[in-house]
Amino acid sequence: MDRRVFIKACSTLAVASLVDASIFSQTLANTKGTLKRYTKALLVKEDGSPLREEDIKPHTQYIFFYPYASTPCYLINLDREIKPVELKLKDGGSYTWQGGAGKKRSLVAYSAICPHQLSHPTKDYSFINYYPPDKPSETTKKGGIIQCCAHVSLFDPAEGGKVLDGPAEFPLAAILLETEGDKIYAVGTVGVDQFTQFFENFKQDLIQQYGSLANAKKMVESCTVVEIKRYTKEVIHC
Amino acid sequence: MSISRRDLFKVAGVGILGAGLLSKPAFSAAERVVKMSAMLPSPKGNRVVICGGGWAGLTVAKYLKKEDPSIDVVLIEKRPNFFSCPISNEWLAGFVDLDFISHDYLQPASKYGYKFINTTVVAIERDKRRVYTPHGYIEYDYLVLAPGIKYNYDAWFKGDKDMTRYTKYHYPAAFIPGSEHLALKRKVWEFEGGDFVITVPPGVYRCPPAPYERAAMIAYVFKKNNVKGRVIILDPKEDIAPKGPGFRAAYEQLYLGIVEYVPKASIKEVDPVNKIIKTTAGDFKFTDANLVPPHQAGELVWMADLIAKDKEGKPTGWADQDPLTFQAKADPRVFLVGDVVGGVPYPKSGHMANSQGKIVARIIASRIKGKEHKLELPDNTCYSMVNGNPQEAIVISVTYKYDEKEKKIIPHPKVINQRSEALAKATYEWAKGMYRDLFA
Ligand SMILES: Cc1cc2nc3c(=O)[nH]c(=O)nc-3n(C[C@H](O)[C@H](O)[C@H](O)COP(=O)(O)OP(=O)(O)OC[C@H]3O[C@@H](n4cnc5c(N)ncnc54)[C@H](O)[C@@H]3O)c2cc1C
Ligand code: FES
Repeated sequence: MDRRVFIKACSTLAVASLVDASIFSQTLANTKGTLKRYTKALLVKEDGSPLREEDIKPHTQYIFFYPYASTPCYLINLDREIKPVELKLKDGGSYTWQGGAGKKRSLVAYSAICPHQLSHPTKDYSFINYYPPDKPSETTKKGGIIQCCAHVSLFDPAEGGKVLDGPAEFPLAAILLETEGDKIYAVGTVGVDQFTQFFENFKQDLIQQYGSLANAKKMVESCTVVEIKRYTKEVIHC
Repeated sequence: MSISRRDLFKVAGVGILGAGLLSKPAFSAAERVVKMSAMLPSPKGNRVVICGGGWAGLTVAKYLKKEDPSIDVVLIEKRPNFFSCPISNEWLAGFVDLDFISHDYLQPASKYGYKFINTTVVAIERDKRRVYTPHGYIEYDYLVLAPGIKYNYDAWFKGDKDMTRYTKYHYPAAFIPGSEHLALKRKVWEFEGGDFVITVPPGVYRCPPAPYERAAMIAYVFKKNNVKGRVIILDPKEDIAPKGPGFRAAYEQLYLGIVEYVPKASIKEVDPVNKIIKTTAGDFKFTDANLVPPHQAGELVWMADLIAKDKEGKPTGWADQDPLTFQAKADPRVFLVGDVVGGVPYPKSGHMANSQGKIVARIIASRIKGKEHKLELPDNTCYSMVNGNPQEAIVISVTYKYDEKEKKIIPHPKVINQRSEALAKATYEWAKGMYRDLFA
């Protein structure tokens, strides 16, 4: 990642960490848009070997869990260089997103928790999905976008997860990817993440799926990346 | 003054009687209101009182607290618990249980720190900035009126209270949640055959697709239970809207001979006793019915004297509001949110009320901070279940843009009329997201 971009994003981190973690200030911190470093986690294939750039088919939606064992993210190879962008927030704040990762700078990753009302892929369904350019959404006729069928929010994966339409009030939180040689790592999040609300709102579901909240909140050390259809029974398009 | 002292006596008397103190004479009840004292001590900072804890009011309350925890937010709601109209048609058909659509008011109030007062607002004095309840008055800096709709049975029965009551009890509209929905479900499942009539209200009404979705769900129940019944939809419009092609296809392909859609059927006369409805499309005898009268803004907007007038000075029935700021035109301290407004391009939906509620919360919080608020427009997504086996739905989604030059709000609708199981699943995801947003 470009060092200048990284430093700029980091400066917001210092401010955010001063804010105490009560529920209201958490919301406040979230709406400012920050970069947060989490554990550095290697992206791996199902056989446990490191995922390489060549393994990632263009315009295919892959899922992995980061930075917690229960927080889903999408990885997409947009098949072209994706430049960094500045994202504006409704409260006047802004932050810089690092753009694509990898040799071709075409890899992007986002939290798959919809910033609107937290719809996210589960083992049964995924309502928030990537629509490749040649398979546009039936409702909005747009391709090359991430769309959430819960209330039809639209995001641009080539523009840092910017909101294109619908009720979402801020962009998808981006996952910060870094490459070292052939290896790809997830190292943090950029933007407004929803993890606190996610854990709060889905407490019961998470306990059911992971045995305890502690398990659901465990930080990951490596992330297995699979195509979405291998994780969820039904990919819902609309 | 929005309401004269004599009117206050009148309104308060009626309100208190309505609240159940029937043993007291109206006069002493009214006197008590006039002598009433404050129900809550004065807050340190600004207080926002929200009347109506439905989709709009609940959203404003939560998001105001999220925007600025120092605001004293008071939500007054007359129902002890929340019952959702959205998904009530799916519940009518037996797809979800009551727990899915009922929620408690205590969780969000305790979590977000607003005051929830379970009582009825009986009067409003805008010049004194007071809201009256049977237990005392509450002073406000800003007032949010979100009481939803009321039924206008007078359009049918010209003030005949007995006829109104008879119709309400025997053929409940079930557009205001509670007992009416339970009664309707009982009627549908106990129906043994014949013609079941649904009337679509004229003009603007709560949830434009609701009668068509309800017709499909009732037809599904009849079909599933082998009941030889017809669902007759009497619609004053020329065609089904919105999602017309989707509903039509469902009626023709799934419920041929069960659903009969009658357009241009404006009601001339309703005779609930002899079970006859006279319309511009002919007269209809019915076995049972879901008689939905015209809608108007909820009573509180009338109490606050904020109903719009037409060119002849007659009340339009809907709140007089600026659709860009949601403020009452006559009083910038009062915000009118959700189903209370007619005539603007926003449909009356829970999604819309939720979307507006967030904007209103931000506008009020900005005003309290002395800041300008940038223009934001709401949006709407509305799923309708049309099939039960398998469950299949259709959808419309609308965003709005403001045309600065024309000074107009322009809707951008997107529709899928092709029913699918995926959209049925999305219907529940829509609802779960909304309930989480209001309550969790
Ligand atoms: C059958 C049906 C299906 C629907 N389906 C959908 C759908 O799928 N999607 C969708 O988005 N919308 C749907 N709707 C529409 C949705 O229910 C309404 O648009 C929404 O409820 C409007 O919200 P509101 O806050 O304006 O009013 P409400 O939700 O009705 O809230 C008003 C509240 O004010 C309270 N109140 C009124 N007067 C007083 C008083 N004097 N004192 C204290 N409290 C008071 C009431 O008790 C009520 O709780 C449907 C409606 C119906 C009838
Ligand atoms: S949860 Fe995704 S649009 Fe509402």
